[in-house]
Amino acid sequence: MSEFKPTYFPSRRPAQVVACEELTDGVVRLTLRDAFIAAHARPAQFVNLYTSNAQRLSPRPFGVCEVNGDEFTLIFAVIGKGTGEFRGLKPGQTVDVLGPLGRGYDLREPADYVLVGGGLGVPPLVRAAQELHGRDDCHATVLFGYRNVHFADRYAAKYSDDVRSIDESEGNVITILDRWAEERGIAGGADGHLLPCAEGERPVRILTCGPLGMMKAVSAWGRDHGVAVYASLEARMGCGFGTCVVCTVHTTRGILKTCVDGPVFNTAELEGWEAAR
Amino acid sequence: MSEATETMTPELDAERRSNFDANQKFTWHHKTQVAGVEWKNPVGTASGTFNFDAVKWFYDVSQLGAVSTKGVSPVPWEGNPVPRTAETPAGSVNSVGLQNPGVDYYLEHDLPALKAAGATVITNVAGHSDDDYAEVVSKLADHESDMLEINVSCPNVSADGLSTGTDPVALKRLVKRLRPLTDKPMIVKLTPNVTDIRPIAEACIEGGADALSMINTFVGMRFDIRTGKPILANITGGVSGPCVHPMALAFVYKTRQAFPEIPIIGIGGIMTGEDALEFLYAGANAVEVGSAALGDPVAPLRIATELDALLDKRPELAQALEEGRTW
Repeated sequence: MSEFKPTYFPSRRPAQVVACEELTDGVVRLTLRDAFIAAHARPAQFVNLYTSNAQRLSPRPFGVCEVNGDEFTLIFAVIGKGTGEFRGLKPGQTVDVLGPLGRGYDLREPADYVLVGGGLGVPPLVRAAQELHGRDDCHATVLFGYRNVHFADRYAAKYSDDVRSIDESEGNVITILDRWAEERGIAGGADGHLLPCAEGERPVRILTCGPLGMMKAVSAWGRDHGVAVYASLEARMGCGFGTCVVCTVHTTRGILKTCVDGPVFNTAELEGWEAAR
Repeated sequence: MSEATETMTPELDAERRSNFDANQKFTWHHKTQVAGVEWKNPVGTASGTFNFDAVKWFYDVSQLGAVSTKGVSPVPWEGNPVPRTAETPAGSVNSVGLQNPGVDYYLEHDLPALKAAGATVITNVAGHSDDDYAEVVSKLADHESDMLEINVSCPNVSADGLSTGTDPVALKRLVKRLRPLTDKPMIVKLTPNVTDIRPIAEACIEGGADALSMINTFVGMRFDIRTGKPILANITGGVSGPCVHPMALAFVYKTRQAFPEIPIIGIGGIMTGEDALEFLYAGANAVEVGSAALGDPVAPLRIATELDALLDKRPELAQALEEGRTW
């Protein structure tokens, strides 16, 4: 007698460390082996890492940066003792993971995607560049802003022929966004109306991830230039999969959860972002 | 599964996690009874840490003893501002403020979905006032919840909920008022933020409660030492997780010593089958798993399988539970 056997989404499980390196002071690039995550992680989807210290129960959610075969890579900052535990991981060790989680960027639309990232917000955009790479109905322009070390350009450059970055000594992402717009002939003052595009011309879409202030500035820039902006938000999470309701965000659709309704939102629907204009 | 160990090591924890298969065919050997309701095993979920829409992708919720829903209020509640969580050693401090879409939405969407999935459902009832509780209990009366759990103990909503749970006179009045509104077994969920749990438990029993569940969270807070300000937007929150397990056991034990008959659901920091077993030895008829389910969605089911194996070796305890008695 054959019996229906449901197949559930894999829960928390150990993943083997393939590589762990420090790109710059306090910025870690961690490669883990997990075929499910590698096969399914869409851009801006994230993975929970858990420390092996039973004293620390909260998940550490990180956006997936790249996937390769049965491996995936994360880039994150060491900001405390919890993330510090991941800094010294050695190949062959394991770390508990859960994911991929969340709703990522929707890249189905043929468009010219401008990926605007800041600091530790760049990994989901590298993943977006990877996904857009090789699609002939899309183009990805990468604009990254850093405090000082341009640590992720080389990963984005694997997937995009147009990677530009800037650090605080020269300006910020708005500086290079303005330069890019000037080249493209996109003028400001569109005031919230999406730019009409000529027949056959692809629309421009901005995907952003980074510090909140930066994303709000990018959102305001998008409104002023008639370009839709999709932001991947960061939030303090208690579970990461929609149960605990601690990562809420106020939107025009009501109070939503960053973890399962996001982390990607059209910034036009985020309440309080209007003030950034 | 290996037998109980003195200390759960991270390695053992990880090993159990990787060996657990949510797709297996489950066979439960040790059921329990709570106020006349049969649970297929003694492990349920704790309110606020279970969301069917979130976990249905990870396991079959009908395999749990019961599921306790998020608190349901008469009208939708927005909850508290963020940040709503702060980590603390072996636990977390949370202040969600019982955000929920209200009883009408619950009856239309959540409850039918849970029953269709085959779950034994404990509907958790939240309110700011006696009238709020009465309204929700009345609305739930004709629907298919298996049990109701009256939350008089949330530390994160305006003072009423907590003060009712800490005042035996007010609590007895409330339970008495709710009792005739429903035929469903009524559990009252108690707060640990009291000096003596026994007069509180007594008030519930005298008011007509069918069972008690304990404990809700302890009031607590954390500061961000860079800013000198509290981390939670609500300033204080509720502390849960393995750090509260020993205190929760003491609450259950004291209540059981004072009231040999009342069914008790033990709640507090259960991470393993062994932790759950301790509650049964303290006098609980069943347990609810909370924080563990936030760190691993399948944790309640895994803990149920661990407890089932532990009860295999404890036939007297297993027999008592099956007959609705306790240790």
